[in-house]
Amino acid sequence: MTLAGRALVCRYGPTRAVDGVDVDAAGNEVLAVFGPNGAGKTTLLKALSGERMPDEGQVLLDGRAVSGADPGWRARLGLVSHRTGLYLRLTVAENLRFFAAMYGLTAGSRAAVEALETVGAQDLAPVRTEALSRGQRQRVALARSLMHDPDILFLDEPFTGLDPAGAASLEAVLLARKSPGRIVVLVTHDLSRGLRLADRIMVMRRGRKVLEGRAGRFDAEGLLARFTEDPGEVA
Amino acid sequence: MTSLRWIGLIAMKDLRQEFRSGGRVIAMLAFAVLACFLFSFSLDRSRVDGLDVAAGLLWLTVLFSSIAGAGRTFDAEEDDGAFRHLLLAPVSRHAIYLGKTVANLVLVCLVAALAAAALTIFFGIAEPGSAAHHASVLFPGAIGLAAAGTFFGLISRHSTLGDSLLPVLTLPVLAPLISLGATASSRVFLGRPWAEIGGSVRLLWAIAIGLVVVGSLLFRYITEE
Amino acid sequence: MDADTREGAKGMQMSGRGAGKLGRVGFGLAAAGITAILVVHWMMAFWVPTEAAQGVVQRIFYIHVPAAWTTFVAVGLAALASLAFLWLEDERWDATAVAAAEGALVFGAIMLLTGPLWGRIAWGTYWTWEPRLTLTLLMWFMYVGYFLVRESVASPARARRFASVVAVIGSLNIPLIHVSPDWFPSLHPQAVVIKPDGPDLPADMLITLLTSLAGFTMLFFGLFTLRYAIIILHRQRRIGAPSRLATGH
Repeated sequence: MTLAGRALVCRYGPTRAVDGVDVDAAGNEVLAVFGPNGAGKTTLLKALSGERMPDEGQVLLDGRAVSGADPGWRARLGLVSHRTGLYLRLTVAENLRFFAAMYGLTAGSRAAVEALETVGAQDLAPVRTEALSRGQRQRVALARSLMHDPDILFLDEPFTGLDPAGAASLEAVLLARKSPGRIVVLVTHDLSRGLRLADRIMVMRRGRKVLEGRAGRFDAEGLLARFTEDPGEVA
Repeated sequence: MTSLRWIGLIAMKDLRQEFRSGGRVIAMLAFAVLACFLFSFSLDRSRVDGLDVAAGLLWLTVLFSSIAGAGRTFDAEEDDGAFRHLLLAPVSRHAIYLGKTVANLVLVCLVAALAAAALTIFFGIAEPGSAAHHASVLFPGAIGLAAAGTFFGLISRHSTLGDSLLPVLTLPVLAPLISLGATASSRVFLGRPWAEIGGSVRLLWAIAIGLVVVGSLLFRYITEE
Repeated sequence: MDADTREGAKGMQMSGRGAGKLGRVGFGLAAAGITAILVVHWMMAFWVPTEAAQGVVQRIFYIHVPAAWTTFVAVGLAALASLAFLWLEDERWDATAVAAAEGALVFGAIMLLTGPLWGRIAWGTYWTWEPRLTLTLLMWFMYVGYFLVRESVASPARARRFASVVAVIGSLNIPLIHVSPDWFPSLHPQAVVIKPDGPDLPADMLITLLTSLAGFTMLFFGLFTLRYAIIILHRQRRIGAPSRLATGH
C-alpha cells in the first residue's frame, strides 16, 4: 500500500504553507516529517488526511485519488495530535463508546475495552477525562485513534507533553502495529524520537521539501543543520 | 437510519456534557428568569396590561437567551480539540449539524417553558391560555432558534468579534420567526380558538424547517478549514 | 504575466493590462451613470410634471425606485457569486461577491434613506411595519454582517467561505420581499411599470424613471467593475510577494 501526495499546495491567504510538495509513504513503514515551527508540517498532514483540501495537487492511495469529503476514506484514517481530541466532561468509556459509534463499530463497548487494554489503560474507563493527567489522556487518545484499526495513522506532534514512560509506550504500540497494510505518518520536531521510529524521513522548510531519504542515513545533528540552511541551495 | 443514530448520539453526547457541568444551562435559565423579572417591574403595570405584552416579552426573552447560549455551542468541542476528530470520523456533516441542533433545541425548549411560567407569575396573569397551544406555537419557534443558533454559533467561534457578532447575524434571520411567533402567542394568551392560531403555526413550521434545511446544506462550508 | 502571478491563487490570473482595461471600462460606466443621474435631477426639477395625487414629494420616486432596483441587482449578484464561489472555489467569484455586496450596502442605504422621506409625506409616517420595508431592512443588515464576518475571521479562507454563506442566507428573502406587497396587505405601491398590461405611467414620468434606472444601473456596474479590478490587483500583490520570498528569487 502506498500513500502519495503530488505537487501539494496549501495556502493560508497570501502565505503558502505547503508549496508544491511531493510526498510518499508506504505500508510497513513510518514516514517522519521534520521541520522547524511553521515549516508547514501540520498543514501537509492535513492535506494528506483530507482535513484540508489542498489548493493544488492531489493525494493518491495506491494511485487512486482520495478526498476528505469521502467518509469511506476518513473511516480508514486515525489521528493522534498534541491535543487529545477527547471530551473532557465525559468519562473515558463514554468518549470511546461515542467515537466507536461514530466509526460505526457495532460492539462499541467491547472495542473500547480492547483499545484501552492495548495502551494499558483499562482501569481508567470510569474516570472523567478532565480528572486524568496529560500522559493518561494521551494514552486514551491513542486508544481512541486505534479503536477502528485504521490503515493509515497520522501522528501530529504526539510526544508533546508526554512523560518518558508515555512516550515509550507510544513507540512500542507503533512498532507493534507495523504491517504491510498499514502506513504511519509522523509529524514532529523531535528529531531523536522521530529518527528512532522512522523508516523514511523528510524535512520541510518554509512549505518546501528540502530533504528526504531512508532514516538510517541521517543522524539528529546532521538533520538539525538542515533546519537552518537556505532551502534554495539544497533544492 | 445510521444518520438518525449519529444525530441521536451526538445530541446525547452534548446534552450529557451540558447537564454534567451545568454552566450553560444554568446561565440560560437564569437569564430567562431575570429578564422576565426585570420586564415585570420596568413596565408601568398600572398602564400596561400584562396580557398585552406577555407574548412579545416571552419571545424576546427566549430569543436573547438562546443567542447567549448559542455562542457556547461549540465550546465543549474545542476544550481539547475534539471537533477535529469528530470531523475526521466518517460521519456526515448533516448529522453533526443536526445532532448539535437537537441538543440546542432541548435547551431552548427548557428556556421557553421556564420563561413562559416566569412571565405568567411575575405579570400575575390569571388565565394564560391553553398550555398545549402555547407549546405548539413555541416548539417550531424553538427549532428555528436552535437551527440558526447552532449555525451562526460556529461562525462566531472563529470571529474575533466572538459573541457580539451573533446578534447581527441571527436577528435578521430570526426576525420573521419572532414576529409571527409573538403574534400567535399573544392570541394564545388571550384564549383565542385554534382556528385563529393554526395558520401562524403552519408558517412557523415552514420557517423552522427552512432554517434547518438551509443550515444542514451550508454547514459543510463552514466546517472546512 | 510573470511567474508569480501564474502561480497565484486559483482564478487570480489577471495581467496588470487586463485589470487596467477593466478599470477603464468601470470608470467609463460610472461616469456615464453619474451623467445620467445628473440629467435625471434636472428632469425631476424642471421637466417632469407633478403627480396629481401626491404632489411634489412623489418626485423622490425617481431616486428611490432605481436605488431599490440597483440594490436588488447587487444583492442577487452577490448571492449568486457567493454560491458560485462556494461551489467552484474560484476566488474571482469571491471578488465579484465583495464588489457587488459593497454596492448592495451603498445603494441599499440610499433606498432606505429616501424611502422614509417619501413615506413621511405620502403615508404620514417615516417608518411603517409592513413586510417589504421590514424584510429589506433585515436583508441590508445581513450584508452589514457579511462585511463584519469578512473582517473579523482571522483565516482568510474561512472568512471568505463564512461571508459567502452569510450572503447566500441574506438573499433568501428576496423572493419574499418581491411578492410581499401582493401577498400581504401593505402600504407599498403595487408594480406600476412591469406588469402584464403594460406600464400605466404617463410617458414623461416613464421616461424620467427609465433614465434614472439606466443611470443607477450604469453607476452600479461601473463602481462594481472598478472595485472588482482593484480587489483582484490587491490580492495578486499579496499573493505574489511572499511566494517570491519562498522561492528564493
